Amino acid sequence: MQLEKFTYDNKIVRNFGIATLVWGIIGMTVGLLAAMQLFKPAMNMGSQYTTFGRIRPLHTNAVIFAFVGNAIFMGVYYSLQRLLKARMFSDVLSKIHFWGWQLIILSAVITLPLGFTTSHEYAELEWPIDIAITIIWVVFGVNMFGTIFKRRERHLYVAIWFYIATFVTIAVLHIVNSFELPISFMKSYYVYAGVQDALVQWWYGHNAVAFFLTTPYLGMMYYFLPKMAGRPVYSYKLSILHFWSLIFIYIWAGPHHLLYTSLPGWAQSLGVAFSIMLIAPSWGGMINGLLTLRGAWDKVREDVTLKFMVVALTAYGMATFEGPLLSLKQINGVAHFTDWIVAHVHVGALGWNGFLTFGVLYWLIPRIYKTELYSKKLAGFHFWVGTLGILFYAVPMYWAGFTQGLMWKEFTPEGLLKYPNFLATTLQIIPMHVLRSIGGALYLIGVIAMTYNLAKTMLGAKLLANEPAEAMPLSKVIIETSSADKAWHRVLERKPMKFMVLSLIIILIGGMVEMMPTFTIQSNVPTIASVKPYSALELQGRDLYIREGCVNCHSQTVRPFRSETERYGEYSKAGEFVYDHPFLWGSKRTGPDLHRIGGKYSDAWHYNHLVDPTSMSPGSIMPPYPWLIEQKLDITTTASKIRAMQTLGVPYPGDYDKRANDDLKVQAEKITLDLKQNNIKVKSDREIVAIIAYLQRLGTDIKANKETIPSNQ
Amino acid sequence: MFNQIKDLAGGEIYLITSLLMFMVFFVIVGIYLLKLNKKHIEVMSQLPIQDNQPIAYEED
Repeated sequence: MQLEKFTYDNKIVRNFGIATLVWGIIGMTVGLLAAMQLFKPAMNMGSQYTTFGRIRPLHTNAVIFAFVGNAIFMGVYYSLQRLLKARMFSDVLSKIHFWGWQLIILSAVITLPLGFTTSHEYAELEWPIDIAITIIWVVFGVNMFGTIFKRRERHLYVAIWFYIATFVTIAVLHIVNSFELPISFMKSYYVYAGVQDALVQWWYGHNAVAFFLTTPYLGMMYYFLPKMAGRPVYSYKLSILHFWSLIFIYIWAGPHHLLYTSLPGWAQSLGVAFSIMLIAPSWGGMINGLLTLRGAWDKVREDVTLKFMVVALTAYGMATFEGPLLSLKQINGVAHFTDWIVAHVHVGALGWNGFLTFGVLYWLIPRIYKTELYSKKLAGFHFWVGTLGILFYAVPMYWAGFTQGLMWKEFTPEGLLKYPNFLATTLQIIPMHVLRSIGGALYLIGVIAMTYNLAKTMLGAKLLANEPAEAMPLSKVIIETSSADKAWHRVLERKPMKFMVLSLIIILIGGMVEMMPTFTIQSNVPTIASVKPYSALELQGRDLYIREGCVNCHSQTVRPFRSETERYGEYSKAGEFVYDHPFLWGSKRTGPDLHRIGGKYSDAWHYNHLVDPTSMSPGSIMPPYPWLIEQKLDITTTASKIRAMQTLGVPYPGDYDKRANDDLKVQAEKITLDLKQNNIKVKSDREIVAIIAYLQRLGTDIKANKETIPSNQ
Repeated sequence: MFNQIKDLAGGEIYLITSLLMFMVFFVIVGIYLLKLNKKHIEVMSQLPIQDNQPIAYEED
C-alpha cells in the first residue's frame, strides 16, 4: 500500500473562527445592554424592539448558537480532519453548513426583536427557522459521517465520540421540543400544554446545556489540550468512563429546573438523584483535563493558551459542582428564580465556554496561517481582563441572588412578610447589577482585544487554505493482531453508525422513562373542573404577553412555600395549566410572580402600570409599554388561533371560531367601559385591552372550585 | 436529602427502575474498562499528538 497525499481544509475552519469572533462581540454587547436595562430602564430606548423582554432572548441565542455554535464547528472541523487523517467529506456541504448557520442566526437577529417567539427558553425561534435548523444540522451530520467513512485512521478517538453524541442528541432534543402547530407564517402553538410542555422544555433546556455547551467542548478539550501541552491525555480509560457515564446521566437531570412546581413529585426526585450523580463524571473529566498538564505546569506559566484552558477547566469544575448542589430541593428553594442561577450559568458560559474558545482561537489561528500570534502581550492582557471580568460578574450576582432569595423568605416575629412589596427586594440589589455590568464590560473589552490581535495576525500572513498531509489508506480487511481486537468496544470504535445508534439508545432511555408516564398516565395531571379555556380576547392577550417576552422577568408558578402563598396566593396546581399552549412558568423573577395576579388590581391600575410602571410602583425597573395603546389588536388571527387550540384538544364549542371575534369585542367593550369610569379613555380595539383581559384572568379559575384538588406532590 | 427519593406515592417504580438501569450500565462500562488492552490505550491516547505538523516558526 502506498502513502496517500491529501489536504486539510483550513479555510472552513478560519471562516467559522471569524464568525465566532464577530457573533461573540455582537452577542456579548447585547448582553451588556440587557444587563444595563436592569438598573437603568431608559436603556430600553423607548422602542418595542429594544425592550429587555425581546433583547434577552436575542442575547442568549446569540451567545449560545452564534458564538458557541460557530466555535464548536471551528473546533470540530479542525480536529475531525486531523484525527481521521482525511479532508472533510464535501467542501460544498461545508459551505452550505457555514452560510446556512449564519443565515439562521441572522434570521434570529431580525425576528426576535420583532417579537416572533415561541417563548420556550433557548428555543425561541419560530417554526420556519426550526425547520431550517433541522436541515442545516443534517448537513453537518452528513458531512461529519461522510468524513468518518472515508477516514484513514481505523479507530475513533474519544473526541469524536463526543462529537457524535452531540450530533445525535441535539437532533433529538431540537425535534422533540419543536412540535408546534403553525397558525401563520411566524406564529405557532406548542402541541404540549402546561406541565407536559414544561417537562419537555426543561428536558430540552437542560440537555442543550449538556450537549451543546458541554459535550462538544469536552471533545475539543480532549483534542486541543493534549496538543497544546504536547502530551497525551492523563487517562484514556477515564475519558471512556467520562463519556459513557456523562451522556447516560445528563439526559435524566432536566426536572431539577422544575422543583416545587406542579410537576409530579417522582419526576422531580428523579431529576435530583441523577443531578447529584452527575458530579462524578463531570469532575472525572475536569480532573482528567487538569492532570494532563501534570509536569507541564511550567508551560502554563509561559503559554497563554494553556492559561485559558486551566481557567476553563476550573470554571467547568465549579459550575458542575454547583449544579448538583442547586438541584437539592432545600438549596433550590432559595436559589431558584434569583440571580444565583444567572451567576451559575455565567461561570459556565464565560469561564468554560468562553475561555476554552479563546484558548483554541489563540492556538489555532496562527497555525493555519503559519505564523506567530501578533501580540502575546495583548493576549496576556485579554487573559487577565477576562478573568477579572468573570469575577466582577459572578461575585455580585451571587451576592444579589443570596440577598433576594433570603429577603423573599423573611418573616417578622409577628409572622408577616418582612418585605411584602416585591419591589423592595429588587431595589436592594441594584448596586450589584451595576457591578455585574462592569464585569460584563471588562470581559467584552478582552474579547475586542483578542479580535484585534487575531485580525492583525491574519492580516499579516497568508492562510494555508489547503494544508498538505499524507497517510496510509485503510485496508479493507481488518487484520486482528491480538484477541483484544475482537473486544466489543474495539469493534464499536471501528463502526461509527453502530456507535451512533448505541449513543442514541442511551440518551432515549432517560428521556422516555421521564416523559412517558407524565404523558400517558392521567393521574399525573389531575384536572380541575372549574378551569376553563381562555376567552378569545384573553387568548390574544396571552399572545401579546408572549410577544413582549414578559416571561423573561415574571414567573407564573407559585411554589408551595408559606413565603410564596403569603405573597402571591394559593400555590399553583397542575390542573390549572391544561390549556396553556405553551406553558409560561418562566425561570427568573426579576419582577414578581403573576400566576395569581388576576383580580388583585383594577383594570385602571394595569393600564397605568403598563404605560408607565413607575406611576404605580415608584422606582420600578420595568420598561414602559406605550405602544400597547397605539397599536390595534390584530383580530384577523382569532379564528385560526381558536381552531388551532381546538385541534390541540382545548374544548371550545364546535363553531366558536366563527363567534370568537364577537365575543372578543363584547369583553373588550366591558374593559374599556370600566377604564372610562376611572377617567381613562382608550379605544376598545387596542392591544392593551387584550393584555389587561389576560392578566385579570390569570389564576382566577381555581377560586370557583368547590371540590378538593388532588395533590400531586 | 434521602426523603426526596423515598415515598413517592406510586412513583418509586420509575425511580428504582432508573437507578437499576444506571447501575447495570455502569457495571457493563466498568467490566469493559477492566478488560481494555494497555497497548491499545497507548495508541489511542497518542492520536491527537501524533499528527504534529510543526508550524513555520517551530521548525528551526
